[in-house]
Amino acid sequence: MYNLKRKIPTFVAVGLVLIFVLASTLTGCSPAPANTSGKLNVVATTTMIADLSSVIGGDLIEVRGLMGPGIDPHLYQASAGDVTKMQNADVVVYNGLHLEGKMSEVFESLKGQGKTVICLEDGLERARLLEDEDNNQLFDPHIWFDVSLWKDAAKHVTKGFCQADPKNEAVYKENLQAYLLKLEQLDTYIKSRVAELPKNQRVLVTAHDAFRYFGNAYAFEVKGLQGISTDAEAGTADVSNLASFIAQNQIRAIFIESSVPPKNIQALQAAVSAKGFEVQIGGELYSDSLGDASSGHNTYILTFKANIDTIINALRLGAGT
Amino acid sequence: MNCEDYAVEVCDLTVAYDVKPVLWDIHLAIPKGKLVAIVGPNGAGKTTLIKAMLGLVKPVSGAIFFGCNTPKMIDKKKIGYVPQSGSVDWDFPATVLDVVMMGRYGHLGWFKRPGHKDRDMAMEMLHKVGMHQYAARQISQLSGGQQQRVFLARALVQQADLYFMDEPFKGVDAQTEKSIVWLMSELKNQGKTMVVVHHDLRTVPDYFDWVTLINTRIVANGPVGEVFHEKNLCKAYGGQGLLLKGAAV
Amino acid sequence: MDFLVPLLGDYTFRTVALGAALLGIVSGVLGSFAVLRQQSLLGDGISHAALPGVVTAFLLTGSKNTEILLLGALISGLAAAYLMITIVRHSRIKFDSALALVMSVFFGLGLALLTWAQKTPNANQAGLKRFIYGQASTLLERDIVMMAACGAVLLLLVALLWKEFKIFSFDPDFAQSIGFDTTKLNLLLSFLIVVAIIIGLQTVGVVLMSAMLIAPGVAARQWSNQLWLMVMLSAVFGALSGVLGAVISSAIPSMPTGPVIVVCISVIATISLLFAPGRGILHKIYRQLKARSLLQVEGRDIS
Repeated sequence: MYNLKRKIPTFVAVGLVLIFVLASTLTGCSPAPANTSGKLNVVATTTMIADLSSVIGGDLIEVRGLMGPGIDPHLYQASAGDVTKMQNADVVVYNGLHLEGKMSEVFESLKGQGKTVICLEDGLERARLLEDEDNNQLFDPHIWFDVSLWKDAAKHVTKGFCQADPKNEAVYKENLQAYLLKLEQLDTYIKSRVAELPKNQRVLVTAHDAFRYFGNAYAFEVKGLQGISTDAEAGTADVSNLASFIAQNQIRAIFIESSVPPKNIQALQAAVSAKGFEVQIGGELYSDSLGDASSGHNTYILTFKANIDTIINALRLGAGT
Repeated sequence: MNCEDYAVEVCDLTVAYDVKPVLWDIHLAIPKGKLVAIVGPNGAGKTTLIKAMLGLVKPVSGAIFFGCNTPKMIDKKKIGYVPQSGSVDWDFPATVLDVVMMGRYGHLGWFKRPGHKDRDMAMEMLHKVGMHQYAARQISQLSGGQQQRVFLARALVQQADLYFMDEPFKGVDAQTEKSIVWLMSELKNQGKTMVVVHHDLRTVPDYFDWVTLINTRIVANGPVGEVFHEKNLCKAYGGQGLLLKGAAV
Repeated sequence: MDFLVPLLGDYTFRTVALGAALLGIVSGVLGSFAVLRQQSLLGDGISHAALPGVVTAFLLTGSKNTEILLLGALISGLAAAYLMITIVRHSRIKFDSALALVMSVFFGLGLALLTWAQKTPNANQAGLKRFIYGQASTLLERDIVMMAACGAVLLLLVALLWKEFKIFSFDPDFAQSIGFDTTKLNLLLSFLIVVAIIIGLQTVGVVLMSAMLIAPGVAARQWSNQLWLMVMLSAVFGALSGVLGAVISSAIPSMPTGPVIVVCISVIATISLLFAPGRGILHKIYRQLKARSLLQVEGRDIS
């Protein structure tokens, strides 16, 4: 009995090491993608890019997304399994402009290995990008909220696919044309919905500055609590100032984002209430990712529609929680 | 003699850290009212022995009895403990009086606060050890001998019947040594028992009337006159026993 | 100064300042005992060990509700504290080694779980990391109520068990010898510290919480020589840095509240270490120089 008791610390130490090993294998474990189909193996970072890639590539490609719905790309760290996926891929597509803030080294090393790496940033005109307000060396990466920029991104991805898989060039270009039409329809829809709001109501308040391109393209004033990256922490002054702005301008609704904790917006709502104005939480917007399959909003077009409907409906009637 | 006449009895005690035994098969009985010296070379297990008796270290095997009672049955606050002054961080924010009052905490039990009676008792004991003018002094400003006296006062305040002391004479000045010896004989006159880990062989016959010689095992245990001689000292200390005993025959 | 008046009327500032002050008081009081027991890094260890609990709570319930995540953190923190104490008790491993071991395993496990959670197909689960690093400016009223309630219970227990904690911190062997169960006291004190840490997690986050636990106690020790005074001062310093942090964060935009609070308490601690009379470094240097010059004078007189 004494001998066994003496061994307890050893058991504990061994047990802890075992837990640690188990934990590391959990993250490393993902089945190696076997490319037996002869299709182009494409790995995309965000859900938006995965959607875009699958539209352009259609049946000719197999798309694997790294981030799932609701994941915050600013904070996402690539696991060993992710790196393996990218190394086995034929093409890797990512956003750039530091959206995937913690993954830049991985992309550099992939480029160095001679892989086809498509960066959306490269397909966009510098002049049309918005600068980061705090740091004018950097640009705002949330480009997908301007449909016209997304069209350019689609063209760039098509170009990349054609280079990697020239024999299917015709199909890719055909898919692109079809999609550009759809995007055009989306753009019209958005503009018509925006027109339903009087000019002074066109203010969008969210948890972080993801919607500046939206504001720029569709004449909306946009304010976020946290700044461009969710990595930043909002200061007390930021909350207070934004609350004052909302109360003074009598903005009817503020919005939660799917990839940011709702607490930030709840605190903002409480602050506004203390200033004598009741602002509603107008609903949840998809900011840094698309919706998931269960919500029915799992493509770019469906997600954007859902967003604009949520925004306009809430601001128009003041409905929501 | 039956169990009531003994202050503390140790039966079959073995204490070990990892595989190395520090105390091995200790059988020991100490009668009440004696002034006991526990002596032995370094690493003999002297401190471990009194810690085991106090329940501060867990033995591999063996049992301790106080009178006829097991440790669970007796009143712990009736056992005084004077540890080595080096066992504590003296930079703690407390005054001399604070520390001595801690001796009363056992009597207060959980949650209760010390009152006037406790304070007066603490001051009285400080008087006894000659430290009453230092009552408000920070303990970090005390000398080694003063620290020892504070610990002594803390044990006295418990009004115990049995006292354990760990090398109370180590590193103290002559004045303090005399005070401690005087206090110990006073306690003996009141019928208390004192078990003292002692480092200076020369003073054993002068200060104590009972001695336990130990070197991982018990070498001898009995009245000083009967047991404290060269043969036993040799057994306990190896060849150094004669040197250490010095002038005493 | 004239910006202070509108500041006091501002809801966000009041909420954050109150939360930060509560955190400062509770961590100051309990941190004093940690500092005196030479367990200063306990705060660091426990707050890191809370991570797997937070992630697991989310994975099991699918909710990012504050109370649920904090409950997960609490269980995880308590488990880690218990593990550390048990390792020290039943082996020769010293406290800091046990702490480092448990902390790194727990935190590593938490990070692994976090990475794994990233993969689960649930479009509503980001922001767990944000929880760990704290976001003081988004404290809600019900957070404050919870902090106040828990804090009150903690402080009440400290007041009730004052002498027990005092003797246990100073001389645990002696405490044991007069009949106090030191194992129970050790566990209880450690658990109170864990609860204090969990309360503070939302305000300053995992990494900075250890500063809130240690710095007020270290600063207070410099100015006091009695335990009750040290603990009181520790609470005052903690509360002061909390409020100051809220003030600075409110006055300057884009200043994150949590880190500013920690900077404030660090400044207080540094000033205390340098300038406190008696124990302060500068005072010691001054005394040395004075003694030296006195000796020189006397030397001259004698010769």
